[in-house]
Amino acid sequence: MDSDPDFAFPALVAARLLLAFAPLPDALKYDQQLSSPLTSYSRLREGIYLFQHGIDPYSGGSFRHSPLLLSLFSTVLPLTPYTSALLWTAADAVAAWALVRIWRLRTGAKKTSRDRQIAALYLLNPYIFLPSLALSTSSLENMLCLLAIMFACRGRASASLLALAALLQLSLPSILLLAPVLLLNITRPVSRLALPQPLDAPLKQAVPLLAEFLGYTVLLTFASTLVCGNWAWVEKTWGASLTLPDLTPNPGLWWYFFTEMFDHFRPFFLMVFSVHLLIYVAPMCIKFQHDFLYAAFLLLGVLAVFKPYPTLSDPGLFLTMFSIFPEIYPYLRHPIVTALIHLHASLLLPLFNSLWLRQGTGNANFFYASTLVFGMGNGAALLDAIWAGLRIAIGELKDGFEIAQE
Amino acid sequence: MATVRNALLGVKQRLRGQGNPTVAKIRRQRALRDRVWRGLPYIKVLLFTVGYLWLLVIPSSRLGQGTYIDENALQPGQVNTYWNWEEVHRADKILADLEQLRDRNATSDEIAQYAVTEFERYGIPARKQQYSFDAAGEIVNGTNAYAVMQSPRASGTEAIVISASWLSRTGEGDGTLNLRGVSTVLALAPYLKKYSLWAKDLIFVISDGYLDGMQAWVTTYHGETQPNLKAEPLSLRSGVIWTALNIDYPGHSFSHLGLFFEGLNGRLPNQDLLNSVSLISRYTVGVPVLVYDHIDPREDRNQPGLLPSWLPEPLKTNSDVQEYVTRARNVYRHMNYQARGAASGVHGLFHQFRIDAVTLFAVPATGPHGFHALGRILESSLRTCNNLLERLHASFFFYLLVAPGTFMKIGSYLPSVILVGTAMLFTGLGEWVHAGWTFATPAPLAGDEKNEKSASSQEIGGKWRRRSRPVLQPIVIMVLTHMLGALLFFLVNSSWFVSNVQINGPILAALFCSIPLVFTIVPPSPPSHAPAPSVLKAFNLCFASALVSITSVLNFSLAATMALFMGIPLTLATPSSLSSSSSVRIAKYAAYCALALGWLVICPEETRRAIWNWDVLRVWFAPFVCVVYVPLVLQAGLVCLLPS
Repeated sequence: MDSDPDFAFPALVAARLLLAFAPLPDALKYDQQLSSPLTSYSRLREGIYLFQHGIDPYSGGSFRHSPLLLSLFSTVLPLTPYTSALLWTAADAVAAWALVRIWRLRTGAKKTSRDRQIAALYLLNPYIFLPSLALSTSSLENMLCLLAIMFACRGRASASLLALAALLQLSLPSILLLAPVLLLNITRPVSRLALPQPLDAPLKQAVPLLAEFLGYTVLLTFASTLVCGNWAWVEKTWGASLTLPDLTPNPGLWWYFFTEMFDHFRPFFLMVFSVHLLIYVAPMCIKFQHDFLYAAFLLLGVLAVFKPYPTLSDPGLFLTMFSIFPEIYPYLRHPIVTALIHLHASLLLPLFNSLWLRQGTGNANFFYASTLVFGMGNGAALLDAIWAGLRIAIGELKDGFEIAQE
Repeated sequence: MATVRNALLGVKQRLRGQGNPTVAKIRRQRALRDRVWRGLPYIKVLLFTVGYLWLLVIPSSRLGQGTYIDENALQPGQVNTYWNWEEVHRADKILADLEQLRDRNATSDEIAQYAVTEFERYGIPARKQQYSFDAAGEIVNGTNAYAVMQSPRASGTEAIVISASWLSRTGEGDGTLNLRGVSTVLALAPYLKKYSLWAKDLIFVISDGYLDGMQAWVTTYHGETQPNLKAEPLSLRSGVIWTALNIDYPGHSFSHLGLFFEGLNGRLPNQDLLNSVSLISRYTVGVPVLVYDHIDPREDRNQPGLLPSWLPEPLKTNSDVQEYVTRARNVYRHMNYQARGAASGVHGLFHQFRIDAVTLFAVPATGPHGFHALGRILESSLRTCNNLLERLHASFFFYLLVAPGTFMKIGSYLPSVILVGTAMLFTGLGEWVHAGWTFATPAPLAGDEKNEKSASSQEIGGKWRRRSRPVLQPIVIMVLTHMLGALLFFLVNSSWFVSNVQINGPILAALFCSIPLVFTIVPPSPPSHAPAPSVLKAFNLCFASALVSITSVLNFSLAATMALFMGIPLTLATPSSLSSSSSVRIAKYAAYCALALGWLVICPEETRRAIWNWDVLRVWFAPFVCVVYVPLVLQAGLVCLLPS
């Protein structure tokens, strides 16, 4: 391995640019696995069109993007086939760069031989580049998420919190990352998985940071309202994550459940599903108080499995982030099983989607079954990550000893 | 109360064992792991045996169930038919005209013009459509004729197609003309126009050639473009096509009605359509129904027997054996079509657009049926299709029609292939675990370690140690072989190859056998690591098993073929031991090459047809073989070849 990432990284980005400008079928943009109603490019274009013609895009049911994207793309960065291809590739490049920076900050090295592999794993991961080719705004969310974590690792609290606040504007479930990112700001990102110890940083430092985050959020919220002129956007964007009004199929676990639900149970189960996401935050942050980067990684895994409107780029981000924790690899219990489930799921998802919606020989249950397999694969990866993250503290075992889980 | 508690405690002790529960748990886990590991070879053999046996018993007379109509709206055979000798006379006159056209070698355009005139004479708007395919070096031209009869009762958002191709499906389009099929459609059009009960538009299509004409028409109708197709746009439009009936009547008269239903890429029509047609044919009109053109030798003594003559007489007359052979013939023919993704008739082209279609094949015979029976079957079937309020969806899309009136549900045949896939998966996982351990003779310093050795890990004079498994190298080899497969497909699809398959086939086979030899320069891994071939075998088997199990849902026959060609061979690939000579390794590799690329040498005609199917009809059998099958078998060859 020659250690010249300065050459490898541009080559990877160039390859991605070539891919972005390749003549790909337009159907990619409408693929339900690559973009959800909240991140779809065609809906974004529609919203911008309505906005520019003086119609409130939030008065209908199709546009659910944040007003920030609306104002950004209707003024500074008009979306044409060329600018959007460039922009989305750039977003992925920035995200990959941020991931490499996180890795370097974690190891404390300036340059490592792994840098290239990490960048390649992000840029060439089909779960990530396919949604990006479909111009799903989940690529932008991934970028903001990695930027927020990267700045937090560097100790640049304001930048980190601003990125997180912007991410919150784009996708409400990302609020899960608030606690680990705040705490990451006041600790160091180096790997202490093998030597767990109680949190030594004073928690009081996090309070002003929280206030700062709230400040940014309020600011961005008011900016959004200013763009729209009313508060209708709150219900259409954030509300969608909580009330699931659009049941377009996606690779997540929510949609099928709520198509089958009787209406009078809906509010209750919506509450259960939403709160269920939140219950993971405290245990993860307490158990991994010695390594909040790892806690953030695990919470991304939780989002990848249980998010209301996931696309493939959510699990993609989680799986790619495995690359910055090489110390846990020897302690993974069933990596090949997880890999095989993912292999099956990634073949089954497009196959059953087309059997149902294109060929017409299957039905919704086929696709739902494949999303269950996919959820199982992601769940297995998450569980294994939790196990390995705790198991590493015990270290290599002598012959004749075993670890038991009480 | 106390007795209950004691009983509970007893149960608890039974379940958890005595002493420290954690220790008991670990013991239990170890025992289970041990048992699974020791039993793995037997589990593998069992899964393979059951899987392959299951494939063999599919035609058994003990399996299968009777067909039935699932969609209540269809109501097949509930109407009176009025098609009569007057219409038969008209069909005869048209037939005479068509025979004249045939005798003076009329061009496609003249024939299409005749059809258009015939439609328009009765006030049905009709047009011609010219097309030309540039298929792998040869150009196919033709002219279709079609007519659209507006529905008198509805807005024309849905339509039914009644079609006949100029060439019959006899011998998969060997040039036999479908004159009577075309006459039937042309005579049917003015007759159906007399009735005001149609709730769907009726589209009549006389397509040129065998498959090419309909492919041009149906893709143009759905607004799809194909780079090698030039076709006139259609000026008459109608709604969404739900069902299509294709008529094939090549002989003078017919004795049975044969049903052909396999579509492109293995898609089947909804079974309700087949069942309705066969019900109507049998009970309304009295024409016996066949699967394909397979006349049962038990009914007709003139048919050649299916069993080889050297079999003992009691076996030949056994009804179960006879039933098995009859069904096996149907299943074999079905798999032949489905595995290749080939259409068994013109109807198969409709399936790609989600249209349920079937070919009604009038099996040539000296009697007793003719235009009169066929017309009535069609009239009643169209009335049944006309009843539909939504697309056919209720009955089965995945089935094996083993005999007329008997079918197998997906649940009763799918497990066979899945079991073979699981056996491959277990072999792969076993190989993966195996690669992680090495049996080392004790180091000189092992004296004080002796006490720590647990009983299970102790062997005479040695000890099992973990070793790390290289993952990247096998994955790179796999990715490169699949890229090689893509290159093979590119070459096979080029006009250079198609121009002379007999000579270029062996050249390509030799070339692609020798390219993977490049991988032998990969240095063998150090003894502390697992040898790359073992890990390659594990990954190869796991990947192949995933593909077999997943393809089985889409195209069972293709998956079964893959299970046959890859199941045992891939499992038998063993990494070479240090002792095996290089000649043995190369011989093994050559055997796998023959399995992977032999088709290039042995069946050039088959290859040519697969490429034509890809070029014109977008059947992905050819790319699938090149990009998926060939690389997987070559990887197994590399497992044997690479130095460990």
